[in-house]
Amino acid sequence: MASIQITEATKSYGNTAVLHGIDLNIQDGEFIVLVGPSGCGKSTLLRMIAGLEEVTSGSISINERIINDLPPRDRDIAMVFQSYALYPHMSVEENISYAMTLRKSPKEKIASAVNGVSNILGLNGLLERRPKALSGGQRQRVAMGRAIVRDPQAFLFDEPLSNLDARLREQMRSEIRKLHRKLNATSIYVTHDQIEAMTMADRIVAMHDGYIQQVGTPLEIYDKPANVFVASFIGSPAMNFIRGTASASGEGYHLQTDQGHQIILPKSLDLKDRMDVILGVRPEHLMIVEEGPASLPATVDLIEPMGLSTLVHVRVGQDSLKIFTLDRPDIAEGTQVHVSYIKEKLHMFDARTEMRLESPV
Amino acid sequence: MTAATDLGTHPASRQGVASRRFLSRFEPYFYASPAIVLLVTVMMVPLVVGLTYTVRDIRILNPFSGGYVGFAHFEAIWHDQNFHNALYNTFWWTVTSLFFQFFLGLMLALLLNRTFPGRRIIQSLVFLPWAVPAFLSGLNWAWMFNPVISPLPQWLFALGILSEPTNILSDPDLAMWGPIVANIWFGIPFFAITLLAALQSIPGEIYEAASIDGASRRQQFVSITLPFLAPTIAITLMLRTIWIANFADLIIVMTNGGPADSTQIVSSYIFTQAFRRLDFGYASAIAAVLLVLLMAYAVSIIFIRRSLLRET
Repeated sequence: MASIQITEATKSYGNTAVLHGIDLNIQDGEFIVLVGPSGCGKSTLLRMIAGLEEVTSGSISINERIINDLPPRDRDIAMVFQSYALYPHMSVEENISYAMTLRKSPKEKIASAVNGVSNILGLNGLLERRPKALSGGQRQRVAMGRAIVRDPQAFLFDEPLSNLDARLREQMRSEIRKLHRKLNATSIYVTHDQIEAMTMADRIVAMHDGYIQQVGTPLEIYDKPANVFVASFIGSPAMNFIRGTASASGEGYHLQTDQGHQIILPKSLDLKDRMDVILGVRPEHLMIVEEGPASLPATVDLIEPMGLSTLVHVRVGQDSLKIFTLDRPDIAEGTQVHVSYIKEKLHMFDARTEMRLESPV
Repeated sequence: MTAATDLGTHPASRQGVASRRFLSRFEPYFYASPAIVLLVTVMMVPLVVGLTYTVRDIRILNPFSGGYVGFAHFEAIWHDQNFHNALYNTFWWTVTSLFFQFFLGLMLALLLNRTFPGRRIIQSLVFLPWAVPAFLSGLNWAWMFNPVISPLPQWLFALGILSEPTNILSDPDLAMWGPIVANIWFGIPFFAITLLAALQSIPGEIYEAASIDGASRRQQFVSITLPFLAPTIAITLMLRTIWIANFADLIIVMTNGGPADSTQIVSSYIFTQAFRRLDFGYASAIAAVLLVLLMAYAVSIIFIRRSLLRET
């Protein structure tokens, strides 16, 4: 197993820079998820670690050995591709054993390794088949099998579940997680799906526009997003944002929203008077209440019942807000309601830099 | 249309359904009929007529010919030294041309499958020989081997390939190489085009997966490129074998089968028998033999390919 260090790594195609000074230290045995919208550079970074893309500057090392110029086959890493990239002319068994055959491993060793892998992944009845005779989920398992049979230094996953249907994806998500716990191998997993990131990662690396936005455990990232991008990308339904100006009132501050409402802010925030800010509040921290001192008047736009929960879309002035509730509120679309919030759960961002305003503790 | 909508409710509609069924069953034949009529008139009829010639004595210049001769032509073929010679030459001509066309075409396809500046222009240039009419290529190559016009024989002499800077087309031992070289030049683009198309259909991720699995470039070629190309290779080799074996144009233009029949292949021999000696009966009999040989070849290739496919 291995630790991976990425130091000031950049990648450009001609004059177009796609990755800017990436620094990341991955511990031995860690499950890291690179998450971000398409085009953020997460797949490029993964392919650079795999050796499929050159590193323009900076360095990537495995176990403190710089591997920038090593060809993929000398890096001892395994990769699962989005399209699975199985060899269509080989049987499942040949697909899984190809890497070992190339290394000229003894036949008995290959056979027992293939056997072990097919037991773990439930491929036993399929070893003679060709990839085209398999379902999407089975192909995915074969791709996994091809990776784990080699017992590599690290696993790289490039959106491996995005071609599966929702139910299968959910199932494979937990299987990959269990597999990781069993093998305890360093893994880097690329996805654009924040649910995969939240549920699978030891640490999430949120990326945007070729920069790392934040690195942290799923709950750190969820509870303390470093900036507006991370706050909006992580979490489903997504966080609500309200623009406004902080104004001093008595001991603390309140937010004068652009829509003319006032929201009382926690005292601990490091604010200045007349500062333009963005307030973020997650849908589960808003609630529909009777009219009260801290409530905002709102109009119900849409109600989305989801069985377990209900998502209520309301409008406060021009701001659209989503409210997540486990109740089944007895209100009709178009009616007037009042909305309140949990003051301690508000997130504040500087409107100019879009960075999180932390309490000065 | 109404018949279809209230199906089964009125007796009249059943008729509509029946005629509809008739139409849908025979529809493909209606559409195919122009092509079938054309094929029958220009292919099948001449073929059958040609086959009847094989058992008749048909010489255009002899008004008394035309009688039934049974298998006399085939007996003559059996003992015809020129035919045996032509058969041997056909084998030699086909195998050599095919070998070089295929391997040079494959190399070209592999080169053109890489990305380099100006690739598109070079691709289209490479495919030019295929666009030149065969008899023009033949004339050009005949001139190229002529020491009076072309420096090529001098160069071959300087390189030590020829002992004298003479025209190889007039040397019975070497003459066959003339049309073969022209044929290789002419046929490379065909393999380059078809193999390049097959190469470009291989997904790049398969190579990436293989390189991560630890395959060197050579191992990737053997275990990925070749298996992907195999179906294309099988079908193009079969097609080209038949085309080359029948392809007398270059030989007729460059050597006319000479000197001393040293470049005569079966199809050029048929041409000579039919249109020089005007012995259509004998020429038809040779053509029938060639047809049988090529069909046997094609059937055996298809059989081999099928059994290979079943195995994999």
